[in-house]
Amino acid sequence: MEADEQSTAAGVMPSKRATGAAASHGGSDPLEGHTSKTMDQSLTELRTHAVEMGGLVIDQVSSAVKALLDRDLRLAELVLSREPLVNDYESRLDRDTLTFIALQQPVATDLRATRAVARVALELERVGDESKKIARFAAKAGAASEHDPVVAVARYLRHMAGLSTTMLRSAVRALDEASPVLAHEVLALDKELDAEFATAIRQLMSFVMEDHQFLRATIDTIFALKGLERIGDHAKNIAEQVLYMVEGERPGRKSA
Amino acid sequence: MNTTVDTMTANKSRQAATMQGETSAQGPATPSLSIAMEDRKASRANPAKASSEKLNFWYGSNQALKNINLVIPEHQVTALIGPSGCGKSTFLRCFNRMHDLQADTKYEGAIMLRPDNVNLVGPETDPIEVRMRIGMVFQKANPFPKSVFENVAYGLRLRGINNKTELAERVEQALRGAAIWDEVKDRLNDSALALSGGQMQRVCISRALATEPEILLFDEPTSALDPIATAKIEELITELRARVTVLIVTHNMQQAARVSDFTAFMYLGELVEVDATSKIFTNPAKKATEDYITGRYG
Repeated sequence: MEADEQSTAAGVMPSKRATGAAASHGGSDPLEGHTSKTMDQSLTELRTHAVEMGGLVIDQVSSAVKALLDRDLRLAELVLSREPLVNDYESRLDRDTLTFIALQQPVATDLRATRAVARVALELERVGDESKKIARFAAKAGAASEHDPVVAVARYLRHMAGLSTTMLRSAVRALDEASPVLAHEVLALDKELDAEFATAIRQLMSFVMEDHQFLRATIDTIFALKGLERIGDHAKNIAEQVLYMVEGERPGRKSA
Repeated sequence: MNTTVDTMTANKSRQAATMQGETSAQGPATPSLSIAMEDRKASRANPAKASSEKLNFWYGSNQALKNINLVIPEHQVTALIGPSGCGKSTFLRCFNRMHDLQADTKYEGAIMLRPDNVNLVGPETDPIEVRMRIGMVFQKANPFPKSVFENVAYGLRLRGINNKTELAERVEQALRGAAIWDEVKDRLNDSALALSGGQMQRVCISRALATEPEILLFDEPTSALDPIATAKIEELITELRARVTVLIVTHNMQQAARVSDFTAFMYLGELVEVDATSKIFTNPAKKATEDYITGRYG
């Protein structure tokens, strides 16, 4: 499949199963050990594909922001050209999880894992959309000028991109390793990302008050920052899916 | 009817907590609207129809049931699941004293039938009396070699009902109750053995229903049937809930998931876990249950 080659080419995030490495958090994989090997295999495949998609999407985010900061038109175009691949992954995972439910009728942990994969694919697809928007802005932004809103908040853009990709990476690894520890790390980082966003917006407000001829670019920059903040939320949603998959209860909603 | 079903569903989790005789140590629930509504509904939980209390059972020196404590809620379907030899059929058969037909068996503990608190397995209790109140449907349809009508009328005649009009009425009622009336109304005098497997099974259910039992026991009622006949029986079990309390043993976990309100998982003669069916199939509390229902057993 084309998508597989592309994500490997992007050089990101092979699944731990693909690399054969042992889970770093907690012993044996809770999703394996079925009497039916087909069941084991299908669940592993679903999760592996979601992790591959995660790798591709994380690269989309960091490339889009890099393209914007470096005014790298070619990189922006690469991000835009890879967007359909992200969508392909999503529709394929959507189809495969549905088929798996229909044919194998998973219950309990297996059912929660299947649903987690479908939801994670959806979240990742939305992260892909956010990267696309940032890449579009990068593609049309032109050369940097002295008074440039992107330059004004470059530090925040860079930091927020770092934070949101870290969150995404931990969230996807949490899915890969069925690790609640990693999932909790993601939840903890979201506050920091939100705080950075708030500071960046304040910075931009003083920027635009000084010089409002860059209003259009300022609005686009706000959208880029907001996109990164949203990516953090998607990572958080993924982490919550993983927690539900592993623990059977939604975080913060313990049932009696 | 719909509202009753809703209430039943909402009651399940709460009831499940008390099914194993455990009392919840949880404080008041978080003040979310849906939880608050669930609490309100839970105050109308179905009462117990029967409860097994410290039930032990032996075939000779082999202990097949070990200290089973299980509450069977009235007008709901409770499914018993577990691997072969776990004791689920043995447990089911205790309810109508089927084991009495076999020598060298021993009951200990009690199965109390509510509301009059008769101990179904007590030596003082007449097994014939028990079977009058608790009907059973077996894996293989076993109609008597008689007409459809006589199969259903049999139990009624045993109870001294001989009035033709009353018999006809109650047979029709029972056949309608088992959703087979339309298929057999023109062949009431044909042999029941001439019917299809699924039809025979529904005649057997009618036969059990005719005497208006309080509990109906099903021992793998569809394992010999095709999917369509199975679906009809499953639909019937769901409807029967309004009239009787149902206890069903099944090897088909999807069936337990489809028809039951509560699921009890048994293993090696012990009751491992019982909870609302939706809870068991999404997030069972015990690892043994999880391993069994997800196919990791053995």
